[in-house]
Amino acid sequence: MAPIKLAIIGAGPSSFYVASRLLSLLPPTSPRHSAINIHMYDRLWAPHGLVRYGVAPDHPEVKNCTNKFDGTAKDPRLRFFGNVNVTTTAAASPIPHNLSLPFSSLLQNYTHLLFSSGCTIPTLHPALPPSDRCVPALSFVHWYTQHPSVADKPPPPLERLEHVSIIGQGNVSLDVARMLLTPPSTLEKYDVPNNVLDVLRKSAVKHVSIVGRRGPLEAAFTTKELREMMNLEVASMEPLDPGLLLVPEGEKLTRQQQRTMQLLQKGSKNKPGSTPKTWSFEFFRSPTHLAPAPEDTKSSAYPLSLTLAHNTLSETKRAVPTGASSTLRTSMVVTSLGHHGEPSAWYDSALGHIRTVGGRVVNEHGQTLRNVYASGWAAMGARGVLASTMMDAYAVADTILSDAFPGEFRKDDGDALGSVVPLGDVSKSAEPVLAGSVTSPDSPPAEVVRGLEDGVVTSYEDWKMVDAEEVRRGEVCGKERERMGWEEARRFLQAKCGDSVAQS
Amino acid sequence: RHGNVTRPKPGTGVKVHFKDSKGNLLKTVEANEGDDLLSIAHEHDIDLEGACEGSVACSTCHVILSSEHYDLLPEPEDDENDMLDMAFGLTDTSRLGCQVHLTRELDGMVATLPSATRNMFVDGEWNYGIVVSHGRMGAHGRMDLQERNPLIIN
Repeated sequence: MAPIKLAIIGAGPSSFYVASRLLSLLPPTSPRHSAINIHMYDRLWAPHGLVRYGVAPDHPEVKNCTNKFDGTAKDPRLRFFGNVNVTTTAAASPIPHNLSLPFSSLLQNYTHLLFSSGCTIPTLHPALPPSDRCVPALSFVHWYTQHPSVADKPPPPLERLEHVSIIGQGNVSLDVARMLLTPPSTLEKYDVPNNVLDVLRKSAVKHVSIVGRRGPLEAAFTTKELREMMNLEVASMEPLDPGLLLVPEGEKLTRQQQRTMQLLQKGSKNKPGSTPKTWSFEFFRSPTHLAPAPEDTKSSAYPLSLTLAHNTLSETKRAVPTGASSTLRTSMVVTSLGHHGEPSAWYDSALGHIRTVGGRVVNEHGQTLRNVYASGWAAMGARGVLASTMMDAYAVADTILSDAFPGEFRKDDGDALGSVVPLGDVSKSAEPVLAGSVTSPDSPPAEVVRGLEDGVVTSYEDWKMVDAEEVRRGEVCGKERERMGWEEARRFLQAKCGDSVAQS
Repeated sequence: RHGNVTRPKPGTGVKVHFKDSKGNLLKTVEANEGDDLLSIAHEHDIDLEGACEGSVACSTCHVILSSEHYDLLPEPEDDENDMLDMAFGLTDTSRLGCQVHLTRELDGMVATLPSATRNMFVDGEWNYGIVVSHGRMGAHGRMDLQERNPLIIN
């Protein structure tokens, strides 16, 4: 059996958990120890995906998972190639300075392929087309994490906004609300770039409305994030209609729902009227229209009028309009309605992610693609935190290995490793798309090798040098780190390499 | 936070029995008073993950304790309960391993690792690479997943 040469598209937590599981299942004592090489590709020049470019800055503990990723990356069987966009669609990369790597190059150079490419496209609201005053929450998150795709874009005009309406009641909505309602003096010790802090210090935002089409029992936020909203230092929650806090007759609540209701009933730590800023939940409301405010009531701080249809719940817990509506005066709308995958090969637009069965990618005819897998949000849709991502990644890794070496691996409890779904015979498989064997077990395609030499493609070692420098710059101003953008990181790495060449 | 633990002289420490989700004994270990279960598991190569390294920011070190010992522990704080809300396979005697610190009276405690789901296939338009439960599946998107209770295969 030819060795495994696995290409992973994406270098976020899902990738790293799959890689670490694969490598630990083939330890030095295993006869198959050298039978695997893993190459991770990411269009971001830094690894770790959403852990670096998605997790809110005031949640630094979540990022501790990167210590394990660093350990995994030390294994010589794993290599990371950053700033590489694997082109699986006709669309240009959202990051202009990426090296483009055609999908066909991966198919020719690798025996196995894993999509861990996440869900990078925000789901938009049909009634709210994007504009300079109606943006997806993702663009906001990209701004405060300095995602390479927004390097040349202007920041949100917070100095001109007094009221922000967030559509959607998941954790991303609450992350954005917290960033708008937490004093910059509190945020400045975290991993918030200095130019982002400068904009936050000039912010005029006084109120954030968080709009959801259903009620507290259906909201997607989790307890920790709700509790953080209740404990905001300089912002208080506007009181809820008491009717919203009643549990319907005979309704059996989950543990999480019970704790949500308790938190809402208790209200915010600071009582309304006692704080310079406020926020509110607008439950059972769906936006239907956003327009400039009527001329005679227009004030520059609230130039927009957001029309909200009122909802009730059907028997099947869907939001249905009651016919009533109201309007909300606001300065900006942020839509936070989840994400879906990019239309790569084997992407299913109805599902919003790649089609899989038991971790194996499946085409539209239901045929399994041999040696092609998907993990994380790319396979499941944009749901789940580290714990679920990890569990899924381990299951996919188990399946990759047990498909490659059937019957060789058993779990500690005696069960067979890998998917309960049998791989099936060849007649149920699609035509092979990957190379059966490869010329080099551990070299990336030639254009990637050239990219490394030219300093366009980053390695994990490059990342660790930038990482250390970001932390060092942060220490100087008493914060977790001061981030570099691509241009700065590239200059820093070139100077470092110049030094080491000069010394050698 | 969890850190490195030292091993007590055999026979002098607090005994903990680690079991897998089927109830099979993985290992019986001895640890010192004050040591937390996550650190103890790592010291003895028990497969208990700790993604956030003991800072109560994830639920990967979720363990199920023997009920008589669970009752001896102080109640979880809000932050631990918030993470337990999202733990897969939560039970009435579940805790985060990183928050359980040993005392003498916990000698003989059983810590069971929860079951992980297996990959599964659901007929029809639903394809899950893996099925996990973390409270509610969310109120957004084209698919109203709330109306489904996914089957879990142990």
